[in-house]
Amino acid sequence: MTALLSIRDLSVRYRRDGIEVAALKGVSLDVEAGERLAIIGESGSGKSTLALATAGLLAGGAGIGGTIDWQASQFQTPRSVAPPSVLPDISPARGEIGSSAAGSLAATQEIGEGGDDDLISPLAGEMPGRAAGGATERRSSAIGDNNIPLLGRDIGFVFQDPSSSLDPVMPVGKQIAEVAHTHLGLGWSQSLARAKTLLERVRLPDPESALRAYPHQLSGGQKQRVAIAAAIAAGPKLLIADEATSALDTIVQAEIVSLIRRLVAEDGMTLVFVSHDIALAATLAERIAVLRHGELIELGEVHRIIDAPRHAYTRTLLDAHLGLDAEPLLDRQGASA
Amino acid sequence: MTVLAVSKLSKRYRRGGKPLAAVDDVSFEIGPAETLALAGPSGSGKSTIARLVLRLLEPDAGRIEFEGADFLSLSGATLRARRARLQMVFQDPLAAFNPRATVARVLDDPLRIHGIASRAERPRRIAALLERVGLDAGLAARAIHEISGGQRQRVAIARAIATQPSLIVLDEAVSALDVSVRGQILELLLDLQRQERISYLFISHDLGVIRAVAHRVVILDAGRVAESGEARAVIDNPQSTIGKALVAATPKLNRNTPP
Amino acid sequence: MRRLRRFFRTPEAIAGALILGLLVAMALAAPLLFPGDPQAIAGPALLPPFQDWSLPLGTDRLGRDMLAELFHGARTSLAVGLAAAAAALLIGAVVGTLAGFAGGLIDEVLMRISDAFQTVPSFLLALAFVSIVGPSLGVVVAAITLGVWTGPARVARAEVLSIRERDYVAGARVIGMHPLEIAFREVLPNALPPVLALSSVIVAAAILTEAALSFLGLGDPNRVTWGGMIAEGRAVLRTAPYLSIVPGIALVLAVLGVYLAGEGVVESTAVRRSLP
Repeated sequence: MTALLSIRDLSVRYRRDGIEVAALKGVSLDVEAGERLAIIGESGSGKSTLALATAGLLAGGAGIGGTIDWQASQFQTPRSVAPPSVLPDISPARGEIGSSAAGSLAATQEIGEGGDDDLISPLAGEMPGRAAGGATERRSSAIGDNNIPLLGRDIGFVFQDPSSSLDPVMPVGKQIAEVAHTHLGLGWSQSLARAKTLLERVRLPDPESALRAYPHQLSGGQKQRVAIAAAIAAGPKLLIADEATSALDTIVQAEIVSLIRRLVAEDGMTLVFVSHDIALAATLAERIAVLRHGELIELGEVHRIIDAPRHAYTRTLLDAHLGLDAEPLLDRQGASA
Repeated sequence: MTVLAVSKLSKRYRRGGKPLAAVDDVSFEIGPAETLALAGPSGSGKSTIARLVLRLLEPDAGRIEFEGADFLSLSGATLRARRARLQMVFQDPLAAFNPRATVARVLDDPLRIHGIASRAERPRRIAALLERVGLDAGLAARAIHEISGGQRQRVAIARAIATQPSLIVLDEAVSALDVSVRGQILELLLDLQRQERISYLFISHDLGVIRAVAHRVVILDAGRVAESGEARAVIDNPQSTIGKALVAATPKLNRNTPP
Repeated sequence: MRRLRRFFRTPEAIAGALILGLLVAMALAAPLLFPGDPQAIAGPALLPPFQDWSLPLGTDRLGRDMLAELFHGARTSLAVGLAAAAAALLIGAVVGTLAGFAGGLIDEVLMRISDAFQTVPSFLLALAFVSIVGPSLGVVVAAITLGVWTGPARVARAEVLSIRERDYVAGARVIGMHPLEIAFREVLPNALPPVLALSSVIVAAAILTEAALSFLGLGDPNRVTWGGMIAEGRAVLRTAPYLSIVPGIALVLAVLGVYLAGEGVVESTAVRRSLP
């Protein structure tokens, strides 16, 4: 297997009131082509930062070190590049950094103070609207190179909250078609036809009328299906799902997980599945990476991690899981009473 | 003897002119020091029931009997006084507190409102409450937004027990917490139940958690009771369609080696 | 400190703060620098500015010291502007909070009253009120307040409507807090920031309204006002335009200063407010 993505010594720091907060500390990780990798961790572990950095979606004020190599086109020699988001944000003028850092000042507030508030929320909140459209343009104009993955074309990204990642005033069909139009160079009618096919593939009931529906007319699970359709519209090699099922109830979560599993298998995509739930991750992934306080503490095959965790923290996470076969706490308490 | 008896409770909302039953003819009882869980998918009416029981919403029909007396007939000052016995812990501990509040103020309010302790006595009571939920008394001076999520939920529990209630409604109270923190909070709740004989109405979408801490469970679907019974019996062998679907959808960790 | 630093980052804020600072200094220094009655005769009538350095801005038709009048006028303008704005914000916040929090009939009644006030042009309202009750500083403040309290009331109500659905308000009800305490202790303080953002506009409008009333002779006759000075100079506008121009410039600067400083405050808090 070849590595689709190879992350070396990646560190991300946020600055807040002159205090640096390290969200990731020297993480090295290979994502193999075609694999399903789960990244798990609790709030503040840096799991979402890792996903965002991989997609080049980190907010401007973040200080990024290390490399992310993308080897999507196997015939070209892989070339090391700095994580993409650094390029447009830092190069133009030093003054820009100051102001964008100030902008994210409040955004990183939660990280500094709460400590256990997840990194995802303030950052995701700063991101522009659509699932895979917005952030791409600025970079594609600067670099037309195949070695730098393009969000939307090479990487599909699914956020936790579909109601904020979808544009509330655009029909969902158009939002999906836009991705195909932008990245595949299809005409609008072809793009819309593709959108309809995608809505069928994500099993939205009545795709024909769903094309013209607005996000508020759909349920939470349906919106997430639309977000997934938009994420895979340009046929990306890598699909990143960042807590994509956490806002949904158990039954809808199971449906979305099986949808992701099916789509990844059908299209031969590589999957990076970010979750706080080790049991959920285990049902979907082949390998699990465990993050804690910004460090990668364990990485391995699902069975190995679950049956023979090497790190005490992984064992803690496994023991803390309350499954349907766990010994009820009530009994434990009753015995001691 | 029951702490809470809910019978034939109904609540309808209007959406686009047509009535939508959020809660439809729901009945259940909770005994002293008992945990009754409400489970179900989103939109099944769990949280609406919590708000009806707490009189944050008014039902369209049905009866709520709390500690042997009609709870729905109370109003004004008598209702407010009665609230001391019936408390709540919310899902998101950050949203559940005034963003300007300090830990001390959050705990001072119930003591002051219900005249539980004099002004001079209250700081000592607040310290005792914090220690009761496993927090350092020095935390009192901190702002709510400065402490961690787990600490906040402990403060929420301290606030709920400040008035010595007989029933606490826990509305997804551990859902937003990290798993490692969740276990400690559940242990704390069970410990309080044992020591103070508090009953819980435990609302959760997570059958694993329910099975671990609840005595009985009511599974709801579209506002109606689908099935109910002893928690472990129902979850291990669900009879209703929705019960089976919920069990099937719960992620399972098949560990082959014992921990 | 951090907020102060952010405030002084924009040039508008700095300019606004400088102008406001100057005005406040003028108002505070007036009784010290010009301890006598500013309306007393100080020299020959219609002395142009920069002729006699004991009377640097010259004198008006009655020989009163223009500079002393200008300083004392700053007192009136600022006092009326701030008092009217404070009253409007207070009334608006209380009415808006009650309407938004109570809902139902109380909301309907309060908002219809507010509609009634909004449909009458605020200057006409002030004019009518002063002409009926009679001109004095307190009446002028009340008259201006009548016309501007509806803005803060509407903003406060909208904010309260969203805040009252939050969990912490439900939490306050659960612990048995009295509804009035919930409204004014839990809800109102969190609804205030956008209401306070209106204050600069209201202060500026109040200063202008006061000047206009004084110009029409409806200001407090016992006090020097810039509006009154402009009116005073109107009769000799061709021969001695400085009599109107000097207080006119003061008025423009005052309004500009208040507005710029207010913008600076809004700007410096905007980043914080845009995030959840």
